[in-house]
Amino acid sequence: MAKSDDCVHILQSLLIFGNVVIGMCGIALTAECIYFVSSPHGLYPLLKATENSDIDAAAWIGIFVGLALFALSILGIIGVIKVSKTLLLVYIILMLITFAFETASCITAATHQDSLTPEPFLKQMLEKYQKSDPANNSDNEVTKAWDEVMIKNRCCGVLGPSDWQEYTSAFRSTHNDADYPWPRTCCALDAQGHPVNLDGCKLGVAKYCNIKGCYDAISGPKNRHAWGVAWFGFAILCWTFCVLLGTMFYWSVIED
Amino acid sequence: QLPYKPVLTQKPPVEGVTTASTFVLDQPRCVFQNYSNADIWLVVALEQAASTFNNTAKPGTPETAFQGFPDPVHAYMTLNTTLVNYPCTNPDGRIMVLRVGSETSCAKDVTRPNCNGPLPGPGPYRVKFLALEGSVPVAETDWSVPIMLRTAKTPSSISTAGSGHSAGMIAIATILSILFAILLAGLVAMLVFWSSDSCGGSSTFSKPESVSVRRYNTHHVYDQPAARL
Repeated sequence: MAKSDDCVHILQSLLIFGNVVIGMCGIALTAECIYFVSSPHGLYPLLKATENSDIDAAAWIGIFVGLALFALSILGIIGVIKVSKTLLLVYIILMLITFAFETASCITAATHQDSLTPEPFLKQMLEKYQKSDPANNSDNEVTKAWDEVMIKNRCCGVLGPSDWQEYTSAFRSTHNDADYPWPRTCCALDAQGHPVNLDGCKLGVAKYCNIKGCYDAISGPKNRHAWGVAWFGFAILCWTFCVLLGTMFYWSVIED
Repeated sequence: QLPYKPVLTQKPPVEGVTTASTFVLDQPRCVFQNYSNADIWLVVALEQAASTFNNTAKPGTPETAFQGFPDPVHAYMTLNTTLVNYPCTNPDGRIMVLRVGSETSCAKDVTRPNCNGPLPGPGPYRVKFLALEGSVPVAETDWSVPIMLRTAKTPSSISTAGSGHSAGMIAIATILSILFAILLAGLVAMLVFWSSDSCGGSSTFSKPESVSVRRYNTHHVYDQPAARL
């Protein structure tokens, strides 16, 4: 009897510890998702055309799941200490519902990562950048946005200056290849906005021409956050699974 | 005949070593050392015309004018310079290359037959350097390997369809679904256990303990007085 009492006590303390961890992780998940939702992503209009808004839904779900996990962990601790079968049953059922929601959020975040590829940006840039007849204002905006991105991040094109060599573009139809292998905004610019060394830029020398692509600067932050939401949520769920199994076992062993 | 072959610039690596209408060659340094009096020309030819090029062709004539390239002129001469511009040493460490095709202003100007104009097509082209004293060829390098320029595809060839699901996402989805299924099964087992319990199944579980303790005590007490007596 003493031995099984000890076992029960050990199980109790394990469950309490597990619930404490779940509570803390719930708060962390809420914080991470709030940060994700509030971070500025409408910076560039060119993202709008290719934006996938699923990741926002996943983050919103993450906020509420985090709060629910925190509240349920407190309920779980109370139920374990009070050795109450009804409390623990309520705890288990509500935890399962939360588990289901968090699963959905994780899978959505992971899928979003897959859908973010350079191709849509590349196509938009080639078709709209410096389009000669700005019939609609959005093309002008795209040009301005790309110029801003390229100057600010010292990058060129989506994957590199060779984007303008590998594909024909609206830019190419108005600027000949020998004088403008790529736009002037790809050049290292001085304080007045003129290329430091135009010949060096046309050659593509690393010092006078930005040879890295802008894709990382545009999609990098969003991608990393999506990765964080997906995998942190997955880790929390694995831990919650163990705690729930322990709770179910504890529930079947105690007498009410 | 000098044992030098013109090459595209490899060091330092330049992004625009070949574009759609230009390419970048290394300068022929330390090659024409013995010909300080000669004019060094670059001959650019269509690949199939390289073998039929005659070194006695005079630059600045319609037969070698850039403006007639590629038809009827199959090889033109350009980038005229002397040995002074191709010194052996490079003390400043500056980038020393030749960009073939950089002059766009004279591309249609027939008064400038030596124009270094943009190449009209993707090639392939072969080049060599030719040293002329007066109009007498005194030295030449080998022909280069055929140089292909870049051809551009249309943007509509870019496929924006989704790239399929990564391994990570499939792993997450599978593992989470299995975990959730196990938990659901556990919950169902719990509820079945609870309902069978409340119907009076094993509620006698706690009772046998107290009964056996009492019996044990009675047995023990009964024995002692008998031993004393």
